[in-house]
Amino acid sequence: MRALVIDDSRAMRLILARIARQLGFDVVEAGNGQEALDRLEELDTVPELALIDWNMPVMNGLEFVSAVRRDTKYKAMTLMMVTTESEQSQIVRALAAGAHEYVIKPFTPDAIVEKLALLGLVKNGVQV
Amino acid sequence: MTVQHKPNTEELVSIAEMVWSSYLDPDGVRPLVVDPAPGWGLGPTDVVATVAISGAWDGRVLLSFSPPAARRASAALLAIAEVDDVGEGDVADAVGELANIIGGSVKSLMPQPTVLSLPAVHTGAFPDLGGEVCRVTGTWDGEPVSVAVHEVAVYVGVSRTGETSQ
Repeated sequence: MRALVIDDSRAMRLILARIARQLGFDVVEAGNGQEALDRLEELDTVPELALIDWNMPVMNGLEFVSAVRRDTKYKAMTLMMVTTESEQSQIVRALAAGAHEYVIKPFTPDAIVEKLALLGLVKNGVQV
Repeated sequence: MTVQHKPNTEELVSIAEMVWSSYLDPDGVRPLVVDPAPGWGLGPTDVVATVAISGAWDGRVLLSFSPPAARRASAALLAIAEVDDVGEGDVADAVGELANIIGGSVKSLMPQPTVLSLPAVHTGAFPDLGGEVCRVTGTWDGEPVSVAVHEVAVYVGVSRTGETSQ
């Protein structure tokens, strides 16, 4: 299984990629939403998971979620926002746009794993 | 009259400690040591990362590190084994992201709606913003660090290259 990690911070991409790799995912990285869309076009298979920051230059995470949800070829991809945006209204916006889950920074690796387990992508600490 | 909540020092300490324990000290061996009356002041070579909050409340969150602390934080976040291998770009990325996370937590305490800016990172003397709401000072790994929240009526933009605009 493959995970797409989208964040403009290299440090945050590294942290999220490390968690995903420990769970057994192959990881592809992108620095903003547009770069992520470009990566998706290049890949031969659609990643099962995308971990998406909200505030990014060029194309933000919410715009990326909306763009992906408009394209049926990505309908199987699970979208998880990982962001500092913690207000209820923002969470509702992200979920309404098509995100499946929402993790607020700062997070622990366990918080990511728990959310992925709820989504059925992880069981007993490894991707399924 | 509406009384707006402003973050206090206790809340800011809690936010800073949560960020430290999540990213800079996950093993609990190098905690942030809060010192309300430090015997030092941040200097002209310090690294300052800022994010602006704008909307129902306008302000700015500043995260300041001494140069050694900035490099150590960047090494910790980017998993760079040798601190000497940390470059300026690494510091800008890592310290900026820490300010982004702290800023997001401060934003969540404020009246809504507000928008958080992307982080800007600056090295050297930083303009006095005034309007300080609260500040956490302390040390990490023996080096000075500080987190401050300012209420700022006029937007002050600082680019990654250090140019200031209003």
